[in-house]
Amino acid sequence: MTEKRKLRIFGRLQRTPKEKWKKEEFSELEYEPTPVKELLTEMKDISELIIDLAYSSLLFDNEEISEEVKYLDVRMDKLNYDIRMMAMMATRTKEDAEQLAGILQVAEAAESISNAAGDIVSLRSKGKTGPILPKILKQADEQLFRIKASKDSKACNQKIGDLKVETETGMRLIAIRRGECWIYNPQSDTSIQADDWLITRGTDEGYKDLRKFLHGELEALE
Amino acid sequence: MTKKTVEDIVLEIKDKSELMIDLAYSSLLYDNTTIAKEVYDLEDLIDNLYKSLQRQTLESVEKKKLSVDDALAVLRLAEASEQIADAAQEIADVELRDVELHPILKMSIRDSDVVFTRTQVKEGSVLCKKTLGELKLASETGMMVIAMRHGDKWLYGPNKNTKIDSGDVLFAKGPEDGEKHLIELATGKTMEI
Repeated sequence: MTEKRKLRIFGRLQRTPKEKWKKEEFSELEYEPTPVKELLTEMKDISELIIDLAYSSLLFDNEEISEEVKYLDVRMDKLNYDIRMMAMMATRTKEDAEQLAGILQVAEAAESISNAAGDIVSLRSKGKTGPILPKILKQADEQLFRIKASKDSKACNQKIGDLKVETETGMRLIAIRRGECWIYNPQSDTSIQADDWLITRGTDEGYKDLRKFLHGELEALE
Repeated sequence: MTKKTVEDIVLEIKDKSELMIDLAYSSLLYDNTTIAKEVYDLEDLIDNLYKSLQRQTLESVEKKKLSVDDALAVLRLAEASEQIADAAQEIADVELRDVELHPILKMSIRDSDVVFTRTQVKEGSVLCKKTLGELKLASETGMMVIAMRHGDKWLYGPNKNTKIDSGDVLFAKGPEDGEKHLIELATGKTMEI
C-alpha cells in the first residue's frame, strides 16, 4: 500500500512541466482519507530528498530540478493539510490529542524543511548570484555528483536493487535524468539505461568506483 | 588556530543542519533523549556559527573581498540551513516532551527509504580498533555512522579518524540492505567488509 503511494512521485519516469507547482498551489485542496502513517512516511522521505535536490539544483545550475523542488514543496503543503485532518478526526481523548500533537509537530517540521529547500532553489533563479554557491558546495565532505552511464557499462538495463549501488559504493541515488524526463528518488526496481545521467550523493571514494563502473571501466561493483 | 573562512562556516552550518535531521529522526525511532538533547546543543552551535558568519561576511564585503551579491547568496543559503536546523529541533522537541510517543512515529521513520539502525560492536568484530577511514564503512556498506556511544560518552557526526572499539554502539543511516551487513560486521557474524 505504502509502496503504491510512493510510486506516484518516486522512482517513476516523469517530466515535471514548468510552473506545474503553481497550478498545484492554487488548486483546491481536496481531502483524501489516507492513513496517517503513510502520510508521515511520505513527508519524511520528501524532507530528506528535497534538501539534496535543492543543493543539486544550485550546484549544477539546473532549472528542472528546481522546478521539482517547488512542486514537492507544494505537495508537502497538501500532505500537511491531510495529516492535520486525519489527526483531528482520530482524536477522541486528551491522551490521543497529546500523542497526535507530536505527530503533527514532526509533520510541520518536515514542511519547514521543504520550505527551506524552496528558499535554496530560489537562490539559483536570481541569476546574479554567480558561482560562489556552487564553489562552496563542491567543498563539502559528502558531495553531490553527476555521472553519465556509458553504453559499455555493465550497469545498463540492470535494476538498481540488483546492482546494489548504495550498499557497494555508499552512493545514494537522488535522481536520474533520461532524455527529457526525470526519475526522482529511484527505487530498487528502477533500471539504469545507457546515457542516463545519475545524480548521486556520497564520498569521493564511492564516486570514483561508481564512475568507473558507469563508464564501463569496471566490470562489477564490489 | 587559523580563522575559519566564510566558506568553511557556511559548509559547517550546512553539514551540521543535515546531521541534526538524521539525529532528530533517530531520536524518535529509538526513543532516545540523549540524542534529542544533542540536537538542541547543535542548534545552539549553529546559531552561534550563523552570527559569526553574518559578521564575517559583512567584514569581507567591507574589505572588498566579497561582492554584495555573493555575500547575500552566502547569507541566504546559511539562513535556509538555519531553518532546517530549527526544524530538526522541533522534531527532537517531540522526543523530549513528557508524553509517550505515538507508535506511528516510529513506524513511519522505520518504513522510509533511508533506514536508521543501531548496533553494538562485539569483541572480535573486524570493526574493532579501526578508524572509520580505514574501514571505509560508508563506501563499503552504504551505511553512514551519524553518532556513536563509547561507554557513557557520545560522539556525533564522527569523521574518518574516529576509532571504533568493542562495546561501542553505532547509530547509522543508509539503505535497508546495508543495515544487515553492518549488523553482521558489528556482531562478528561476518569478517568480510
